[in-house]
Amino acid sequence: MSKAKLRSSLLAVLRCNTAHSTAINFPNVSNSALSSQLPSNCISLSQLPSTAECFRLWRSSRCECLNNLRFPSRVFSSRSAEASDLKLRCWNCGAAAPTSVVFLVCDSCRSIQPLDQSVDYFQIFGLEKKYEIGDVNLESQYKDWQKKLHPDLVHSKSDREREYAAEQSARVIDAYRTLSKPLSRAIYILKLEGLDVNEEDTISEPELLNEIMEIREAVEDASGSQELNQIQSQMQEKLNHWSNTFAKALRNRNFDDAISSIQRMTYYERVKEEITKKL
Amino acid sequence: MAEPIYTVASDSETTGEDRSAPIFPEIAVGIDIGTSQCSIAFWNGSQVELLKNTRNQKIMRSYVTFKDDTPSGGVINELSHEYDMLSGAAIFNMKRLIGRVDTDPVVHASKSLPFLVQTLDIGVRPFVAALVNNVWRSTTPEEVLAIFLVELKMMAEHQLKRPIRNVVLTIPVSFSRFQLTRVERACAMAGLQVRLMPEPTAVALLYAQQQQQQAVHENMGSGSEKIALIFNMGAGYCDVAVSATGGGVSQIKALAGSPIGGEDLLQNTMKYLLPNVESIFSHRGIDEIRRMGLLRVATQDAIHKLSFQSSVQIDVNLGNGSKLCKVLSREEFEMVNSEVFEKCKNLVNQCLHDARVGIDDLSDVVVVGGCSNIPKIRSLLMQKSKKKALYEGMNPLEAAVSGAALEGAVASGIADPFGSLDLLSIQATPLAIGIRADGNSFIPIIPKNTTMPARKELVFTTVKDNQSEALIVVYEGEETRAEENHLLGYFKIIGIPPAPKGLPEITICMDIDSSNMLRVLAGARLPGAHHPATPFMEVKMPTVDDGHGWCAEALHGKYGAAMDLVSLQKKS
Repeated sequence: MSKAKLRSSLLAVLRCNTAHSTAINFPNVSNSALSSQLPSNCISLSQLPSTAECFRLWRSSRCECLNNLRFPSRVFSSRSAEASDLKLRCWNCGAAAPTSVVFLVCDSCRSIQPLDQSVDYFQIFGLEKKYEIGDVNLESQYKDWQKKLHPDLVHSKSDREREYAAEQSARVIDAYRTLSKPLSRAIYILKLEGLDVNEEDTISEPELLNEIMEIREAVEDASGSQELNQIQSQMQEKLNHWSNTFAKALRNRNFDDAISSIQRMTYYERVKEEITKKL
Repeated sequence: MAEPIYTVASDSETTGEDRSAPIFPEIAVGIDIGTSQCSIAFWNGSQVELLKNTRNQKIMRSYVTFKDDTPSGGVINELSHEYDMLSGAAIFNMKRLIGRVDTDPVVHASKSLPFLVQTLDIGVRPFVAALVNNVWRSTTPEEVLAIFLVELKMMAEHQLKRPIRNVVLTIPVSFSRFQLTRVERACAMAGLQVRLMPEPTAVALLYAQQQQQQAVHENMGSGSEKIALIFNMGAGYCDVAVSATGGGVSQIKALAGSPIGGEDLLQNTMKYLLPNVESIFSHRGIDEIRRMGLLRVATQDAIHKLSFQSSVQIDVNLGNGSKLCKVLSREEFEMVNSEVFEKCKNLVNQCLHDARVGIDDLSDVVVVGGCSNIPKIRSLLMQKSKKKALYEGMNPLEAAVSGAALEGAVASGIADPFGSLDLLSIQATPLAIGIRADGNSFIPIIPKNTTMPARKELVFTTVKDNQSEALIVVYEGEETRAEENHLLGYFKIIGIPPAPKGLPEITICMDIDSSNMLRVLAGARLPGAHHPATPFMEVKMPTVDDGHGWCAEALHGKYGAAMDLVSLQKKS
């Protein structure tokens, strides 16, 4: 097995482990080169890649990943030997990564770089890790990335690079979709803080439950599109309100309020969906 | 590792080629095989050009004539007379039938064609046959398509003086993945490696190129973001797309499509002109076929004229002493077909809704395809979009094939010094893909209009205590009841660890890669376990072959609810 392949499978093992929340004993690793890598991996630990990502990695590294699961120590020792290679350099031409922009594509040789889970969605779009993103043009940046990363455009390249293209392109799609909507952006930013918000959580506040019932009835009883449109704009107002509340709570690092804002936003979004279906 | 000495080709008909191989070592051509017409286009180094056949036609009729058992298609073969097409020996409209079983209403609607389309209504492929020397010669839509493809290929090879191995072929939005395998089969029969592209997305790519060129001319850099509504209606299918275009990138926001088209307009009008048309032609002798054909040609002609005049005189001698003389007005034509136009309107509404795009956001409305001249279609789209004019920049009959040729050039990796190929089409799934669960419901895992490549998963659980197996039945479509969707395949996962019902977590993950290959992964584990109880199963879809209507029924009957799944609501 080539070194590069081994490394990618090892990285995959790491991520699979984090996904399954297996305890990996990070502090045991004393190699300094490796510990310089640790912070980025720690972020990905708290990010908890979804099982979908894990599947992808599982597939890309075939069964080696599952077979190696039980031998993390061996994994680490062999990984540390290569750690010095892990400095951000283009895998193809060896050019150093730029410091100003996120390194998905090599500027010198246009090669697509392997997926780095420690890069968050905000970095992809050159944004600060903030909930309020103002009116930046995500769409055009998204398209610029796709022109560099989309698998359709690298057909003549190696298997390896085509795989990177598929992964990077899919991740940019996810990033764009997540950041372009306030609700998913809010959930994502909490996830970066290590908080997993469950949208399906039942609401227990009687006050809110009442409100939900009332709105639901109003939607059902609405006699025409005018009435529905009116409820629609009420929902939008509420969404704006709770979006602001969320932003404030996040600034003050008041995560309980942030989560409850998200739950409300989830609910109002659903009403909006229902209304759009009826309209 | 050394290369294995032997490779055994898979038995599956769909693997005519290895789809993971680098696509298009040489420039791929674009082909549009329509229900009634076909065309082929290529990138000539500076622009897209359509090839002409020996009769100087760029748009050729999509039919195949069987004579003494040797078929020849409309690309090369010239009919001595239009009516030759109606002798029972000419097969056409096969794009409407490909990959459809005999319970499909579209197949039933094809029974009035002047050749044999017979159904048993049990979910197998219909019996299609041409009358050759008074004997029915059976054929398949795949064979007919392959004949067009071979003829187009030969024509292109002759004119371009190079072998043609790679094509981008346009397909209707509403085609299921099973139908796509049939199209791929036809391409494999013709010796072609194919990339399939929904028709309106090919048009959207052409639009993206035109916008980009315009921006360059006006020195506006990459130009601004434009949202276009694409409406493409031919003889067999009506497709709609909403695309967001900027900097040469066309991002498909939503797709909608349905097998309605000029053929339906024609049949409705025929029924209107001759109300007892079906009983007259119910048994299919050579005379009936001929008369049906005469009526078809006369009606088709009348509909064309109604695009430019408000009424038309129809005179057909149907033989046997019966004659049809009638004046047909445009109002009558529109009334007879009001349902078709209503469906078109619904597709547009649905597509705009799914794209979450308001009418005010639309920069352009592009109307193409064989039906784009019909005044009612044009007025309907202008009304809907509140626009005074439709987009003028492209030839409605050449738009799809030109877009396909662009895609072929882009995917072949060639660069154009003037940036004319600095393009990208980002596709979305035209139909939802999911499994049967929660009783007989269709639970989508990859929703409709998901940007591709895509990967999504959902977690399900068992319905019985100690249930050790689960049947995963994969469907594609938009209907809530599972069996009303297209069946793509099924497999079971075994070795679910014994546990009370509702406890095991059965993860179903679906992956569409960049070559549009669908894989389904399934695995079971108990909550808290780090490893799946059994290795994940990974299955390429579709797995079904013809006769799948019966398969689904048999599965249902045999297993009932014993191997069912229900979706698992995540608890915190």
